[in-house]
Amino acid sequence: MKWHGISSALIALALAACGGGGGDSTTPSSGTTPPPAPPPPGASVSEPDALRLLEQSSFGPTDASLAAVKQLGIAGFVEDQFAQPATGYQGFAFLDANSNVGCPTGSASNCFRDNYTPFYLQQRFFQNTINGKDQLRQRVAFALSQILVISGRDIGQPYAMAAYQNILLNQAFGNFRDILYEVTLSPAMGDYLDMVNNDKPNPARGTEPNENYGREVMQLFSIGVWKLNPDGSQQLDGKGKPIPSYDQDVVEGFAHAFTGWTYPPRPGVNGKWTNPRNYEGRMVAFADHHDVAAKTLLDGRQLPAGQGAEKDLSDAIDSLFNHPNVGPFIGRQLIQQLVTSNPSPAYVSRVSAAFNNNGQGVRGDMKAVLRAILLDSEARGDRHDEVSYGKLREPALFAVNLLRSVGGSSDGVYLRAQSATMAQDVYSPPSVFNYYPPDYPLPESSLQAPPFGIYDATTAFARANFVNAVLAQNGIAADASVPGAVGTRIDWAPWLALGGDSNKLLDRINLLLFHGALRDDVRAGIKQGVDSVAATDSYGRARAALYLALTSPQFLVQR
Amino acid sequence: MTISRRQFLKSSAALALLEQISRLDALAAPLAGSDYRALVCVFLFGGNDSNNTIVPTDASGYADYLKARGNPATGGLGLAQSSLIALPGVNYGLHPGLAPLLPIWNAGHLAMQFNVGTLNRPISKAEYANAANRPESLFSHSDQQAQWQSAVSSGPSRSGWAGRIADLAGSNGALPLIISTGGNNLFAVGNATTPLAIPANGGIGLNGFGSNPTGSPLFGAMTQLRGLDAGNQLVQAAAGTMNRAIAASSALAPVLTGTSPVASLFAGQNNSVAQQLHQVARVIGARQTLGAGRQIFFVSHGGYDTHTDQLNRQATLLGQLGTALKSFYDALNQLGALSQVTTFTQADFARTLKPASGGGSDHAWGAHHFVMGGSVKGGTYGRFPSLVLGGADDVTNEGRWLPTTAVQQYGATLASWLGVQATDLPKVFPNIAAFPQANLGFMR
Repeated sequence: MKWHGISSALIALALAACGGGGGDSTTPSSGTTPPPAPPPPGASVSEPDALRLLEQSSFGPTDASLAAVKQLGIAGFVEDQFAQPATGYQGFAFLDANSNVGCPTGSASNCFRDNYTPFYLQQRFFQNTINGKDQLRQRVAFALSQILVISGRDIGQPYAMAAYQNILLNQAFGNFRDILYEVTLSPAMGDYLDMVNNDKPNPARGTEPNENYGREVMQLFSIGVWKLNPDGSQQLDGKGKPIPSYDQDVVEGFAHAFTGWTYPPRPGVNGKWTNPRNYEGRMVAFADHHDVAAKTLLDGRQLPAGQGAEKDLSDAIDSLFNHPNVGPFIGRQLIQQLVTSNPSPAYVSRVSAAFNNNGQGVRGDMKAVLRAILLDSEARGDRHDEVSYGKLREPALFAVNLLRSVGGSSDGVYLRAQSATMAQDVYSPPSVFNYYPPDYPLPESSLQAPPFGIYDATTAFARANFVNAVLAQNGIAADASVPGAVGTRIDWAPWLALGGDSNKLLDRINLLLFHGALRDDVRAGIKQGVDSVAATDSYGRARAALYLALTSPQFLVQR
Repeated sequence: MTISRRQFLKSSAALALLEQISRLDALAAPLAGSDYRALVCVFLFGGNDSNNTIVPTDASGYADYLKARGNPATGGLGLAQSSLIALPGVNYGLHPGLAPLLPIWNAGHLAMQFNVGTLNRPISKAEYANAANRPESLFSHSDQQAQWQSAVSSGPSRSGWAGRIADLAGSNGALPLIISTGGNNLFAVGNATTPLAIPANGGIGLNGFGSNPTGSPLFGAMTQLRGLDAGNQLVQAAAGTMNRAIAASSALAPVLTGTSPVASLFAGQNNSVAQQLHQVARVIGARQTLGAGRQIFFVSHGGYDTHTDQLNRQATLLGQLGTALKSFYDALNQLGALSQVTTFTQADFARTLKPASGGGSDHAWGAHHFVMGGSVKGGTYGRFPSLVLGGADDVTNEGRWLPTTAVQQYGATLASWLGVQATDLPKVFPNIAAFPQANLGFMR
C-alpha cells in the first residue's frame, strides 16, 4: 500500500482549486418523469420507504426516481436497476507514463493536470453519479472502490484509473470472485500495490518477493485479520481471544504465489520482463520470474511446487474467495456503505448467507448480496428510529445528494474540488486503507462510524461552506480552463415557485431530503430561521430553508 | 430500563454535575507545573524505514548493514557510507536528507531512541515463537498505527495515549488540549475528551455570516438545530463536532489567518509536513492569548510505505522532514518556546532490512525514533539491534527487529515531562508496570 498523510488531502485540494471538466453539459435529473404505468400487483410502497430506498441505493432521490420506485415497487426497482447498463468511463486513451513524453515542452498549460492527475475522471464521476440512470451500480461501484482501493495520488493517469473503475462498475452486479480476479490482474492495482514486476526470490541480489499485495488482498480486499463468525463477530479461542486469519508465513505464501507478472505489452510490441507501464488490459505472466516452490496459503492449504503463474494465481484467488470470512467481511462493509454503520449481527448473518449461496448454489453473487442488503427488514423497517441507526453521508455522497434532491446541474468541476476539501478526494484516498476504516470509533460511544473518520472541525466548516457557496443564486461559474464547462447551479425555479411560503418550502424539504421524517422540532427550528427573512424575498427564504436543512446534523446522517 | 452513560450525559443537570466532578478531578490530578509545555507528535504514516534513517558507521556495524541491504553501487538498497551525515561523538550517521538536523544534534537537543516498538511486556526471541506473547496483528499498518497511538497492544482501544492525558488534564483554556493538523486519529481521542482538528494551512470558520455570526437569526437557528434530535447518537456526534468547531474558531481563526511571525522560516516549503509544522508554530506563538497551559499537537507525514523505489521516495520524504523540523526548531527558538516544546516521531513500524522485489522493503517492527527540543538530553538511547538477517534481534529472516524498548516507555517519558504524575502514568499507559523503567532518561 501507499500512505499519505491524511491532511495532504487538504493540501491537494488547495493546489487543485481550479476546476476542470470534460465538457458534457449536464441536465437536471429532477425534471423528467417516467411515462405513467399501472403499478404491478403487490408493488405497493409507501412514499417514505420509497425515498429511503433511494437514499440507500442511489446518490439521492429525485422526483423522477421517486416515481419509478412507486411504479415498480421496492424489489422491482432494485431488479430494474440491475438491468441498467453501466455509465462507465470511456474515452480515456493510453498515454506514455512519462509526463515529459506525454506533455513535452510547448504543450497546453493544463496538459499535466488533464493527463497525469485524476482531474477529468473525478469530474466525470460527478457527472455520472448526478445524471446516470444506473444509480445503484454507481453507488455499489463507489462502495467497492472504497474497499478494493487504488488511489489517484499514485495512479494519476486517467486512463489507468478509468480502466480500474470500469472493472468495479461492470462487475458490481457480477460475482465477487470475478471482482477479486480482475482486480488482482489489473495493472493499475499491480502498480499501486507492487504486484507488477514482483520477482521470485533472487539470492544473488538478496531480495524477496514483494509482500504488499499479498498482505493487503487478505487484510482489506477479502477476509480481514480476524476469523469471523457469519454474523461478523470475531471467533474466539478457548481463552476468549480473537483468532488471526493468517500469519506472516501466509503473507509470504501469497507474496510468492503472486510472482512473475508484468504490465501487458502494447499492441504490436513483443513482451519482455519487465514491460513498460501500460494500464490497458490484464497483466501478463513470465514463467522465468515466477517462484515455483510450494507455498502456504490460508488455513494450512498448500500450493504444490511446480505450478505456473496463472495456476498459482487462480488457486490463490480461490483460497481467498472460498474463505468463510468473505461473506461477513465484505457484506458488512457493503451494509455500512449503503445503509447503516452499525448493522445488527443478525442482519450481517442474512447478508453472509446470501453471499455464501444465492439460492441456486452459487457463492459470491453480488445481486443476491445486494437484494439481501436492500430488502432486509433492517433496511426497510423501523430500526431507523434506534439510537445507533444510520450513517454519516460521506462528502461525495453528500454533495451529489444535494444536487440531485434539491435539483440542479453541474459539470462536476466544482464538486470534485469541494469533495476533496471535505476530505474525500474522489478515487484518491490517502492510502489503501481508504478515507476511513470500517471500524472507526464514534467518540464517546460504543459505536462504529466510518465516515466520522474524516468529519472534524475543519471538514464540518468545509461542508457548511460548500452548501453556502452552491446555494448562491447564480451558482458557481464555469471554469474557463475546462472546455465545455458549464459550472454548478441549483435550479431555483421550483423553489421560487413556492413564493417564500415557509410551510411549502419545508414540505418539499421534508419530502426530498428527509423522506417525510422531518421531526416537528427540527421543522420548527428551520421555519424560525426562514421566517426571519422578508416574506417578499422568495429566493432568500428558499436559500435559508435549504441552508439550514442541508447543514443540519439531521440531514448529515442518512437513516 | 437502564440508563446508559450516554443518555445520562444528555441531561443538563447531569452535565453540570459532571463538569463539577471533572473540575474536582482537575484539582486533584492536574498536570504538574504551571509553565507552558507542549508535545508535538510527527507520525510517519506507512512505516519509515529506520534502517536507512540511522546507520551504524563503525566498521563491523556498517559491514553487517551493507551485507543485508546490498551495495548501492550494484543496485542494492544500502546507503553509501560517504553519503551519511556523521554525528559527532557517536558511531552513527543520518540519512543525507536529515542533514538539517546536524546543528540540532550539535546543540545537544536531539535524542535518538533505538529499536522501540509495540509490546505487551519485554519478550525474548524465544518467547516470540509463542504467538500468545506477541502484540496483536504485527506488521499490519492499521493495527500497528493504532497500537503506537494508543500504547495498547492487546485488544482494541477506543482512546489514544495523548487523549488519555487530555482526560487527566481537564480544562485547558479556550481550546481542547490536543490539536491535530493531520485530521482525526486515535492518538488524540480521549475517553471523555475530543481533540480539535484544524486545517494544515489556512483558517477555520463559517462563511456567509459576516463578522458577527451570533447576531444572525440563521446562525441562531443553526445553533438551535444542533441541540435537537438527541435520540440518535450519530446526529449528536455530528452536532457536537460543529459545536466544538464553532467554539474553537472564534479564538483560533485570528491566529491562523493573521500574519505568521515565523513565515520566513518556512518559506519555499510547500509540502504537507512543513505546512503543518508551520501551522503548529503559529498556534504555539499565540499560547498566551489562547490561555493554553499544556498542549499536544499531532502532525502527519505520509508516504513512507516504500515497498518499491525506496531510495528515491525516502530521500524525498526525509528531505522534507529534516528541513521542516529544522524550520520548526528555529521557529520555536524565535518564539521563545524552544525549551517548552518537545517534538518526537512515531510510525507504524520499521521496514525489513532485507530488500523486497522492486527496490523497496516490507513491513517490520522495532524502529528508531527522534526526540527534539530544548529540554531534550541529546544522545542515543536504548540498544541498537544487530543488523544480521536471522540474527539475535531478527524475529524472521528478513530483518524485523524485536523491540528492546516499548512504545509505552517512550510515551511515558514524554508524558512525564509534560507533567503527568508518576501515580497517574498507569491511567495513560495501562501496562507501564510490565516494563523495567517508565522513564528512558532522554528528557531534562
